[in-house]
Amino acid sequence: MSLVSTQQINPIQETIFNRSTVLFLTVLAFVSVFVVICNQFVPVGSALHIPTYTVTLLGKYLTFALLAVSIDLIWGYLGILSLGHGAFFALGGYAMGMYLMRQIGDRGVYGDPVLPDFMVFLNWDELPWFWHGFDMFGLSMLMVVLVPGLLAFLFGWLTFRSRVTGVYLSIITQALTYALMLAFYRNEMGFGGNNGLTDFKDILGFDLQSDATRLTLFLLSAIALALGYIACRYIVTSKLGRVALAIRDAESRTRFIGYKVENVKLWIWSFSAALAGIAGALYVPQVGIINPNEFSPLNSIEMVVWVALGGRATLYGAVIGAVVVNYAKTYFTGALPEVWLFALGGLFIVTTIFLPKGIAGLLSRKEQRA
Amino acid sequence: MTICKRLASALLLVFMSLCGSTSYGEGNQTLFDEGIRLIETGKLKKVADGVDLLINSKHDRSAFILESMLESKLYRHKKQKQLVMLVEKNDKGLLIADLDSLESTRQIGKRKAKRIPLNNKLRGKIKGYLASQNLNADQVSVRKAAIQKLLSALDDETLALIKARALYESNPDVQLLIDTAIALDALQSENETDRLKAIPTLSESLEPAVRNQLTQTATNDTSKAVQLAAQSALEKIEDKIAFYGFVEKIFFGLSLGSVLVLAAIGLAITFGVMGCINMAHGELIMIGAYTTYVIQLMMPNSIGASLFIAVPAAFVVSGLVGIAIERGVIQFLKGRPLETLLATFGISLVLQQAVRSIFSPLNRSVETPDWMAGSIEINPIFSLTLNRLYIILFCLAVFAVLFLVLKRTVLGLQVRAVSQNRNMARAMGVRSEWVDALTFGLGSGIAGVAGVALSQLTNVGPNLGQSYIIDSFMVVVFGGVGNLWGTLVAGMSLGVANKMLEPVSGAVLAKIFVLVFIILFIQKKPRGLFPQKGRAAEG
Amino acid sequence: MKNFKTKLAGVAAAVSLSVGASVTFAADTIKVGVLHSLSGTMAISETTLKDTMLMLVDEQNKKGGLLGKQLEAVVVDPASNWPLFAEKARELVEKEKVSAVFGCWTSVSRKSVLPVFEELNSILFYPVQYEGEESSKNVFYTGAAPNTQAIPAVDYLAEQGVERWVLAGTDYVYPRTTNKILEAYLKAKGVAEADIMINYTPFGHSDWQSIVSDVKKFGSTGKKTAVVSTINGDANVPFYKELGNQGVSAEDIPVVAFSVGEEELAGLDTGPLVGHLAAWNYFMSVESDENDAFIESWHAFIKDEKRVTNDPMEATYIGFNMWVKAVEAAGTTDPEAVQDAIVGISVPNLTGGLSTMMPNHHITKPVLIGEIQDDGQFEVVSSTNGLVQGDAWSDFLPGSKDVISDWRKPLACGNYNVKTGKCSGQNFE
Repeated sequence: MSLVSTQQINPIQETIFNRSTVLFLTVLAFVSVFVVICNQFVPVGSALHIPTYTVTLLGKYLTFALLAVSIDLIWGYLGILSLGHGAFFALGGYAMGMYLMRQIGDRGVYGDPVLPDFMVFLNWDELPWFWHGFDMFGLSMLMVVLVPGLLAFLFGWLTFRSRVTGVYLSIITQALTYALMLAFYRNEMGFGGNNGLTDFKDILGFDLQSDATRLTLFLLSAIALALGYIACRYIVTSKLGRVALAIRDAESRTRFIGYKVENVKLWIWSFSAALAGIAGALYVPQVGIINPNEFSPLNSIEMVVWVALGGRATLYGAVIGAVVVNYAKTYFTGALPEVWLFALGGLFIVTTIFLPKGIAGLLSRKEQRA
Repeated sequence: MTICKRLASALLLVFMSLCGSTSYGEGNQTLFDEGIRLIETGKLKKVADGVDLLINSKHDRSAFILESMLESKLYRHKKQKQLVMLVEKNDKGLLIADLDSLESTRQIGKRKAKRIPLNNKLRGKIKGYLASQNLNADQVSVRKAAIQKLLSALDDETLALIKARALYESNPDVQLLIDTAIALDALQSENETDRLKAIPTLSESLEPAVRNQLTQTATNDTSKAVQLAAQSALEKIEDKIAFYGFVEKIFFGLSLGSVLVLAAIGLAITFGVMGCINMAHGELIMIGAYTTYVIQLMMPNSIGASLFIAVPAAFVVSGLVGIAIERGVIQFLKGRPLETLLATFGISLVLQQAVRSIFSPLNRSVETPDWMAGSIEINPIFSLTLNRLYIILFCLAVFAVLFLVLKRTVLGLQVRAVSQNRNMARAMGVRSEWVDALTFGLGSGIAGVAGVALSQLTNVGPNLGQSYIIDSFMVVVFGGVGNLWGTLVAGMSLGVANKMLEPVSGAVLAKIFVLVFIILFIQKKPRGLFPQKGRAAEG
Repeated sequence: MKNFKTKLAGVAAAVSLSVGASVTFAADTIKVGVLHSLSGTMAISETTLKDTMLMLVDEQNKKGGLLGKQLEAVVVDPASNWPLFAEKARELVEKEKVSAVFGCWTSVSRKSVLPVFEELNSILFYPVQYEGEESSKNVFYTGAAPNTQAIPAVDYLAEQGVERWVLAGTDYVYPRTTNKILEAYLKAKGVAEADIMINYTPFGHSDWQSIVSDVKKFGSTGKKTAVVSTINGDANVPFYKELGNQGVSAEDIPVVAFSVGEEELAGLDTGPLVGHLAAWNYFMSVESDENDAFIESWHAFIKDEKRVTNDPMEATYIGFNMWVKAVEAAGTTDPEAVQDAIVGISVPNLTGGLSTMMPNHHITKPVLIGEIQDDGQFEVVSSTNGLVQGDAWSDFLPGSKDVISDWRKPLACGNYNVKTGKCSGQNFE
């Protein structure tokens, strides 16, 4: 009952910047520059003009792509199927959201200089302890990485030591995100309950609604994706990565040889969670809201679906999957509002049956033929 | 109760009351007529006055008029400006009869007559009045209910009625209630010894009215002795309440647990035995619930029997959908369990949307048959709700049947063989493909059966499945994948744990605690409560 | 290899292009956006409002459209996903160039789209009862605020002799606010702390055994007890089923609900619920010519005689008609002009009166209390004398009792503190 497919997907010995990586980074750079030019320098009426609305949408896709890469790292290369990665994404998002809330200052509805609106409204007299420090950008950004990272570390430390594997691991990651969702829905928790955090005004003094800030956030997402991608490539091509592959394919054997399986898993797992947190932090200012729904187990499953659809253990496949599914969602919900779930569900079924290696498999098959 | 039966009893009542009016013509006719006139206006405020007059008139037709009001059968003909009795609502409108001659009915349009409005206050008043009339009813339960109703509002008049009944009451339960009522009255008496004497009788009673009265006596009574006696009686009552409160919590927990087990047990087969992560499991439950709805649509006149047909029907429908999913999708994904997760996630989206397109996104109303409604009253503070009780029993029955199928039938043997070692089973001549399809069909069918049970408890809508899928996974994993006993024990214990925590921490935190507990428990026992042993467990 | 490269590049370019391209608009129609979830958890409630909008647009077109042009409804599905609401709102306004948007149900979806409407200075009509504590230049609230629903309901129950109160709600902002307001209100009326029980449950809560049993216990002390329910949509069915099964009847412990209307009851066996209450500004059973006409055209449009109408539908109807009238008055669909023109506009509501858009962007409505009947309809047992004006800022909350909203010039502020003389929380210059 293994959850880990034993097929070899990558040859063992590789450099960080292999063909697909270079190509991916080139395409990413090209798209970013193209978007900037079309947004800034092409006049509004022109067919080539990209409105800021689309730029933000693309920025959102890029943060999803980064999230997908972080899932692919642990699923594709380490064999851990996390059905709760949305939790780390959302935690990163909340850390960013808390910073943005504090930035509102006295411009909130009730004009309280310190307390966010929802706290005034719930009659809280002072800021809860965990909100302190989020008025500082640096510390908040640290929290974006630390909170998901540490939670993952703690969770992994418990879990990997007890050798929880396979479906059991997947289901308790699901339990983790489910418990967090219920907790964040509670208004007593101090995270705004169901309404979450919203009504953000500016970041580091830059107006969040201005086109320039939007474009910058888009570019930052692109850069984060590129760096995250390179970091993941670095891990999977390092010795650590090769041990990870060994764990994926034969965990007990790797342990018997003498590798500290738990440690390898723990580090890569925590890194992946931190990466998901960064994606969440970039996501929040672009969509303007963070709410406990992001913790929903179904969201996390959907994230896994992106990776599976794009092609597991290829990294670029994860990016393609995230972008394609989310673009499909954007398009279908507008074009076929009544029946779009048929289209999306159908897409999932058809790709699994006819494209076992995802879209990436389709691309590399073409490559082999050529 | 069918309309026919109701009609018959109503007619009987009328007949009896008509006879009554001719034979003695008791009561104040003027007050009665004035009351009827006020009710005829159809204006709520005037109706309220009219009801008072009817009650005060002590006219022997009052009870009949008020009872038909309560059953919303009393209508006002808009043109004729008079009261009429509704006999039946049909496609053409309303079938009505005059109050005096119920036999001759006539048909009028839907908007030609308007029901006489009532509000809660009036309903309470009428029910109280009818209760006092019911003191001499033949059925024990009716008499009991009548006295219970009167307990909270005792006055000289009702007490006189109760005392009169006491003379020839034969049922011990009712006698006990009568004693309680009399003692409750004695507690108000001027005489201290009377009050003291009343307390031992009261300390045996769990009626809320008694407890409230005792609480007042315990603090306000002029006599210290009475206060002390009341306090010790109260303590005795409180102990009993605490005990029954505990029993109640266990019952609530078991009933929540049985819902969890029902939802999870199908998954225990597809996920546990076949190793297939079926994200569409919740939607198979949903299909079962919708099947119940459709069955009820097809047989609107026998709701009571509909569930007995719905159970096999839901099993077949969900089972067939399951087999279709297995044949159409899952069999191509053998050995790739994660791809099945992806594909079944897609299937669940498609099924949800299909239900939305066919049945509309609105919730559908599934009726509760009469035999499932209401509760068994053990005592005034503890009763078992019937639908929950049936669902616990149903859950155990489903479990037993499933267990027998897996342990005692050829199919069960083959299923276990394939799940333990597919290749070996094939070598022994088991058609593993066929077994897979049937196993999946069985698991899905059970999910459908769970849907029938859930349709009695919750919304029947497109989101029904989603709300149970996560819990189902938790139960199966907590119990140990591939072990039916594990699922039963896990479901029941999670249910009880949840209900024990709920009063202390609130519903949300209780659920969070249970989830955290599962996470920690898996650390201790990485393969659940009842781990599978042997080679099949590896990997 | 070359093939692979072009393929990958092609995919990326195609995606980036097709997202951006295809901004088409036909100048001969006026577009209105419909932003209601058609899938996900909220589809149950919101789909009906989408159909209502399509019907209203259809009827308006039959009457000759607006400003000589035909109306065109642009329907999108935000799928009960809050960030998607913001994205779709932006798509409607920026890409589809709609003149006004009718949509949202949950508070969080409104909060999510609010910055979008303020930034793009467009118009949103919000047709659902909500918690108040908000007044935006760009949003028109045609549903009830707490003072047009909750407080009259509590007054009615107090009149009926209720002395003990259970405030039960789903744990989110609308019940929290409503219960806070009610708690303050009840205490001001002299209800003791011990006579108020407050309980919150998660969304979609389905196991009500313990809570109903607690309510029963709370209500057995001899004082008349009532439940004020702000339980959200999906959780209501199991709640009412449990009430029925545990034998809690409306004469013993009445439940007054603010989120249960005809639509919710259509999914329920209402036999055991007779006598429980709901407070709304409209019931399908109300007798008026407008209502009869509305029900008739709804049945004709939806092609199902059994479909019911409910309060948010009426709010949509009022909102749409107000917008139409404002556009006619302004002579243009320009949001800025419409925002100015709409204040003070009166249109018939379905209960036989006129509703007026007030300067705080809320409307005036009658408040009706209805009791559930066995046919799934409500019998009106009480109604306010005259109309009640929706209050954006509650008088019973310490943070907002000094705050008023008036969008008329020169004040033009949704959040003006009369004590400090400051206008805060505005997202535009």
